[in-house]
Amino acid sequence: MKKILCVVSRPPYQGSHDLELIEAAMVGAVFEMQVSVLFRGDGVWALHAGQNAAPLQQRTLSHVLSALPTYDVKRLYVCAEGMTERGLAQEDLCIDATPLSMAEQQALMSDQQAVLGAQT
Amino acid sequence: MIFTVAVHSPPYASSANHHALQFCRTAIDAGHGIARVFFYHEGVYTALNSQVPPQDEGDIVLQWQQLAADHNLELAVCIANALKRGVLSADEQKRYERAAATLAEPFQLVGLGQLIDAIASSDRYIEFPA
Repeated sequence: MKKILCVVSRPPYQGSHDLELIEAAMVGAVFEMQVSVLFRGDGVWALHAGQNAAPLQQRTLSHVLSALPTYDVKRLYVCAEGMTERGLAQEDLCIDATPLSMAEQQALMSDQQAVLGAQT
Repeated sequence: MIFTVAVHSPPYASSANHHALQFCRTAIDAGHGIARVFFYHEGVYTALNSQVPPQDEGDIVLQWQQLAADHNLELAVCIANALKRGVLSADEQKRYERAAATLAEPFQLVGLGQLIDAIASSDRYIEFPA
């Protein structure tokens, strides 16, 4: 089974980038890839529980993210440093994501056959 | 080596789209294979058939078309991303009753599964971000 990682590192609602990346993760899982998603940089804001994108006339990303486990995308990770820098705690997140150090993120990336969204 | 090439950058917005084109050309010349070029995010604008670049600038779309014709290269465009941004094949133009079909040949509108399928059959995945 091929392993792919989607890296969400842009802030949500700045274009459709984050949403389209999450869609790629879901389709990857449907096609029986082992999919992981890593939220880092301003991408960690995508995990914030208190979102409502209705005023922006967009889909609320936290609602889309909560569907990931139903698509069998259960390997969800978040940059620990990125959360600390932004004053976010685990209880602020809309879904369970495992915090990773920089070294752990590096190991995660090296373990993949393809990394989507690696560069912003 | 077989590559899957993902293009996320629209033409002319940055040099990334041109870099992707050059990468494909060089990889093919060096004897490598390209499973599929997949245009995603704003990269789908590459397939817009109504672009008229000034005569003294390179025509990126024409160069993709030539590369595809010369090497039987598959230019795949994410259908969901394309529809949202107005890149419509003749079929989609009829289906959504829009004024014009805007998809250049030989670009094809395909599902995201075609990206995953290409990655599955490639040794390397390379992405050209916006």
